[in-house]
Amino acid sequence: MTPPTIAPARPELYSDGYPQRRPRWVELITSADHKDIGRMLIGGSLGFLLLAAVEWLLMRAQLAIPENTLLKPEFFNRLLSIYGETAIFLFALPLVLGLFYFLVPLQIGARSTALPRIGQLGFWLWVAGAATLYASLVFTPPESGVNPLPPLSGITFSSSNGADVWLTCAGLSCLGFVLISIDMIATLRNHRAPGLVWRRLPPFAWAGAVGSWLLLVISVLMLGAITMLMFDRNVNGLFFDGGAGGAPLLWQHLSWIFFSGAYTLVVLAALAAIAEIVPAFSGRPLFDRRAVSASLTAIAVLGPLAWMQNMYSQPIGIGFSYFAMAMAMAMIVPFGILIFNFVATMQGGSVQVRAPMLYALGAVSMISIGLASELGHSAVAVAWQLQGTTDSTAATHYALVGAAILGGFAALHFWFPKLTGRTLGESLGRISFWTILAGLNISFLPLFFAGLQGQVVDAYKYFSDLGVSGYNLVASIGALVLTVGIVLALVNVLASLRSGVKAGHDPWGGTSLEWFALSPPPAHNFDVVPDVRSHEPLRDIRDAIGNRQRSAGEKTAESQPLA
Amino acid sequence: MASPASANLLTPESAHSPNAEDSTTLYVIVMIAVLALIAAVNVGLLRGVSRNRARRGQQARDVSGLRRLQRLTAGGLAAFAILLFAVSVFFTERAQDPGSTGTEGLQSASVVTEGSGAAPVGGSTPPPSSRSADPLEITATAQQWLWRYTYPNGAFNYYRLVVPVDTAVKVRLVSTDVVHGWFVPSLGGKLDAVPGKTNFARFRADEIGTYEGRSSTFSGAAYAAERIEVEVVEPDEYEAFVDQQSADIQEAQDIVAEQIASGETP
Repeated sequence: MTPPTIAPARPELYSDGYPQRRPRWVELITSADHKDIGRMLIGGSLGFLLLAAVEWLLMRAQLAIPENTLLKPEFFNRLLSIYGETAIFLFALPLVLGLFYFLVPLQIGARSTALPRIGQLGFWLWVAGAATLYASLVFTPPESGVNPLPPLSGITFSSSNGADVWLTCAGLSCLGFVLISIDMIATLRNHRAPGLVWRRLPPFAWAGAVGSWLLLVISVLMLGAITMLMFDRNVNGLFFDGGAGGAPLLWQHLSWIFFSGAYTLVVLAALAAIAEIVPAFSGRPLFDRRAVSASLTAIAVLGPLAWMQNMYSQPIGIGFSYFAMAMAMAMIVPFGILIFNFVATMQGGSVQVRAPMLYALGAVSMISIGLASELGHSAVAVAWQLQGTTDSTAATHYALVGAAILGGFAALHFWFPKLTGRTLGESLGRISFWTILAGLNISFLPLFFAGLQGQVVDAYKYFSDLGVSGYNLVASIGALVLTVGIVLALVNVLASLRSGVKAGHDPWGGTSLEWFALSPPPAHNFDVVPDVRSHEPLRDIRDAIGNRQRSAGEKTAESQPLA
Repeated sequence: MASPASANLLTPESAHSPNAEDSTTLYVIVMIAVLALIAAVNVGLLRGVSRNRARRGQQARDVSGLRRLQRLTAGGLAAFAILLFAVSVFFTERAQDPGSTGTEGLQSASVVTEGSGAAPVGGSTPPPSSRSADPLEITATAQQWLWRYTYPNGAFNYYRLVVPVDTAVKVRLVSTDVVHGWFVPSLGGKLDAVPGKTNFARFRADEIGTYEGRSSTFSGAAYAAERIEVEVVEPDEYEAFVDQQSADIQEAQDIVAEQIASGETP
């Protein structure tokens, strides 16, 4: 965090103990400040968003026409593996975590996080993981698919170091997520402002608390799986070797808990951010905070518990499939309550559809399509027919592009003033929103239809006799539109960093404590941490200031005739 | 030959086995539920925005009934979820059982397993019901990137599975290397062959023809080319095929044995 620009100090103000100002980049890479780390996580994840979009676009170029020979199968499989890892480990989760890590300490009135060096270590481990993956482009990139299932990812069938690269990147990222989650949990436990009891947490901070626990649990499980596969590959371990008494399905269980949990976390964070954006742009408080907090918690618990809905086709007992289906279907209720709350908050308010609100509404709409389709796929017999087809690709991308990209940019538009002190451009924001929305629908709606025809996922080609050529061509055009939309949104971010309209500390009339800090906040966040007396501390402060001004005005009015 | 009927826009490939029909029925029910949910959410959002847009002279609206509505929504969704779960379990249970071999199918399939001579002909004495209920069990062994089918009489072939029509078939899915997905949409859903484990795909094809399938679990470099074909034929034709295949294999075996004996092949 740079201190605000100050006039060159006069010599007499120097003292012996005053540290020399170091260059900006040195300050940044040595910083343990949650705002710097959070900004770097968000910035890095946006960079990886661009890479993931380009990788997806390349794969769609290959799939634009049947039996295309544009990309070699090996190259396509490498792209697929890198894309999957980038999208989850390097874009979606870091974006969510970056927003949490930047905002939640501010929202709870903390002057810093509780364990800043732990969080800093976590961030740099994630950077190391990302560097490993992209450095492997010049050596041996991973090629074992989005989720590298053993034995395919074992040493026998992936003898190159590609699978080790995947595991290293995922492992370092997970370790980073664990450390940052620990810092978040400790901060939320210990550094809340006086009076800010748990039930008064704003929804996004509540999601930060629930989400940090979720990420801690699933990342630790994934780390266990990664360690075991590393053993199998490099020191003749037998954890996943079915022939030697190992269990290939063990990897599937552990990794699907992680992927289901990660999916849940991304959707959860987006909906929690929207639960703050909708009230701000409706001019009304959130309809039922307790119901929203309870629903977010229920989703965080049920989502990872439904992991076996990815394993209906595996040789597991049908009872396990029914358990996963029950967990997945139970989520209808909390998701329904959340969306009910968004609509109910708008009722009787005065809704202003500015860019953050536009992104938020679009995100809810797209997430609803994705999650409802996933609900369909949670019915066991339906999943037998549709899992492994592009129908599931479409459902997942509707939910995750809706949550991570639309929801992510909703949050960025909303909190950009707090992140940078400037506002994200409104008109380019609108253009990028409509482009992304169009691209998402043009790209993924046809994949539902192609999946019904039986086109399978992750394949580098399909045959023209399948009758899905038209769908795929449209999907590829859509991917181009989507990428253009993403580029426009990123250009908007870069342009606004330099020349965005300067924002005050509270541009939207927010009600939680982050709007009490300056934009951008100083290194210590708050000069004064206010006592919190309700769940809307900033409204209390505004009311108090208003009362004081009114009474002061009355006093002068009374005193005048006497004078 | 019935070519695999292509799907229309909103339903999967037409089912040609009772279990696939149950899956498709459930799919239609679930899809209606899914579309209803999507419509409810999006209509709710659009109405919420359009009726409450900030405008001049806006009147405060009475929103006192919303808490009750929230409880009703939660209760309604819970009931909806329970109903959907029950319906899904009902059809999933049915989709696991394609029923027993019909009248046109291969009778008393297990006799073939024993290889006790000519296949019985369905005459005046029907075979014992316990035997005809046994499904025809064929082992499908996956390898990168091909399926091998082993028939009850020991004959085997690759790529194209030949089965008799209207006969309960139980495909035993095993893998020699990595996880492979077995997916023939018209005859039932995706099931995976996991090394060290056994999985079973069951179906009873109702019509003669060729059904295309694909492997749908990523299995390495040539995964996209790992295709499956199921050819459904008359029971007589099936028996002729497995006998011929068995004889051919035996003949090849004999030639090799002869060559080894005569020193032609080291």
